[in-house]
Amino acid sequence: MEAVSWGTVPSPVFPVPVSSQGGGNSSHLRIPCIISFVIRRLYVHNFRCLENFELPISGRSSTLLIGKNGSGKTTISLALQILRKIGQDTSRVGELVKPKDLTHKSVPMRFEIEVELEGKIYEYTIAFEYPEGFKELRVFEEKFTVDGAPVYTRNVAQVHLLRTGQEADFLIDWHSVALPIVHLRPTDDPLFLFKLWLGRMLILRPIPSLILGDSDQDTLQPNTQVTNFGAWFQGLLTDSPSAYSKIDEYLKQVMPDLKNIKNPTVGKESRSLVVEFSNVQGSVTLPFADLSDGEKCFMICAVVLAANSAFSQLVCFWDEPDNFLALDEVGHFVMALRQAFQSGGQFIATSHNPEAIRRFSDENTIVLYRKSHLEPTTARPLNELQVNGDLVGALIRGDVEP
Amino acid sequence: MSFNKYLPHVLVLPEDDANLRLANEFHLQINQLRQMQLLPVAEGWVNVLDLFENVHVREMERDPLRFMILLIDFDGAANRLQLAKARIPQALMDRVFVLGVWSEPERLRAAEGSYKDIGFGMAEDCRRGTNETWGKPLLQHNAGELARLRQHLVPTILFPPP
Repeated sequence: MEAVSWGTVPSPVFPVPVSSQGGGNSSHLRIPCIISFVIRRLYVHNFRCLENFELPISGRSSTLLIGKNGSGKTTISLALQILRKIGQDTSRVGELVKPKDLTHKSVPMRFEIEVELEGKIYEYTIAFEYPEGFKELRVFEEKFTVDGAPVYTRNVAQVHLLRTGQEADFLIDWHSVALPIVHLRPTDDPLFLFKLWLGRMLILRPIPSLILGDSDQDTLQPNTQVTNFGAWFQGLLTDSPSAYSKIDEYLKQVMPDLKNIKNPTVGKESRSLVVEFSNVQGSVTLPFADLSDGEKCFMICAVVLAANSAFSQLVCFWDEPDNFLALDEVGHFVMALRQAFQSGGQFIATSHNPEAIRRFSDENTIVLYRKSHLEPTTARPLNELQVNGDLVGALIRGDVEP
Repeated sequence: MSFNKYLPHVLVLPEDDANLRLANEFHLQINQLRQMQLLPVAEGWVNVLDLFENVHVREMERDPLRFMILLIDFDGAANRLQLAKARIPQALMDRVFVLGVWSEPERLRAAEGSYKDIGFGMAEDCRRGTNETWGKPLLQHNAGELARLRQHLVPTILFPPP
């Protein structure tokens, strides 16, 4: 057993490339082609309104979450955000979860995710507890397995690392998550691949008025509000220059007078997106910030489509993708995303919009329900419920309940 | 703009939610997503025909690039196709297609699997020129309309050559 003093963080077991440390700029991380990486299971317990909660999305390339306000749709995205932050190297527990997130203070909060990569099953479990007298939560349990075989297990501070021909025990600060710290060999190591995939999960709740198109770095990790769109756009093109043709292809269908998008430097290390439109009457160049809210959403959609095409098998959770769109655009917007993710990855949307809801089938629509603020969220596939007549009509009548 | 009105395009007018969901899954498989637009459900096959007559005939007369698919339940009625066709002006006959399940989509799903699989199968048949799904007992009565659809819509809107 390797002895490590209490409260210290051990050095990585294997060398880690400098570019993979820190979550800010990951454009130079080259991941081998990921194929069939999709969530088979997401289990959350004792996190806000999610108690003993399992999201039934296995085998679905696209899923719609519907339910009344407060039913837990956004909370699911918050749970995924916590996992994504771990994938983006946030290890401090206090930056991931707060005591107020606990439903029951005396019970551990638990997140379990099971995903598939090229036929291999990756399972990651993290549980937090809130002992008496503590100011913040600490890690109670952590585990990462591939095809059922543990890569490492952890009980509070004690980590047990297992690999073919290598085994080690060490202690870790109980206020730190191990996954960002226990790096193994890059590129072909399952833990490395899993963490990179986790960090690239797209969780989107865009606020177009805050998206200006300016950037001073590039990234493959848009934030939830997509305020770093310019950096994401640049990061994707730096990593996969051919992604531009995908972006261009989609946007020219939506905005036929689009000529091009440019991201010129405007300072020593800054860029600012501009969009040029042209037709027989002439041309006009607009700063990205001057686009309408809906047009900015088209841009985000185009980059999502291009990112999924470039990296294969992204998971994209988009909270109300229909926001800001004209009524006649909603269906096409949703269908473009559903179609793109058919060939790999997973698209998860929430919506209250009739046009968006109608673009999913009852086989990939999940109804979230919560009787009151004192009770947890339940999830049932729509095809297991008895809905009389038109779904939207039943939703308006309040007749869709598990 | 939403669907491209300046290219041949097709509007699908479904009778009810079940038909819409089937159409959705078909739509998901075509090459030119934006040249097909699914319309809100009409709530009944009679309403489909009324809506077509009262709203869409005039629009189609103004727009020669527009095609329409009326998606109705046949409810086992042998004369339903004739009743529907009687409401279509002769000048538009080549651009309007009346399709649907012999009984209703819920029974087709019970017999053949999910809407996703059925919609995928219907689209694949159109793409490959096969008849595996369209040849199922609850769909085979569509053969005449399907042949016209294959002639007019498949090469221009649904699966144009790259």
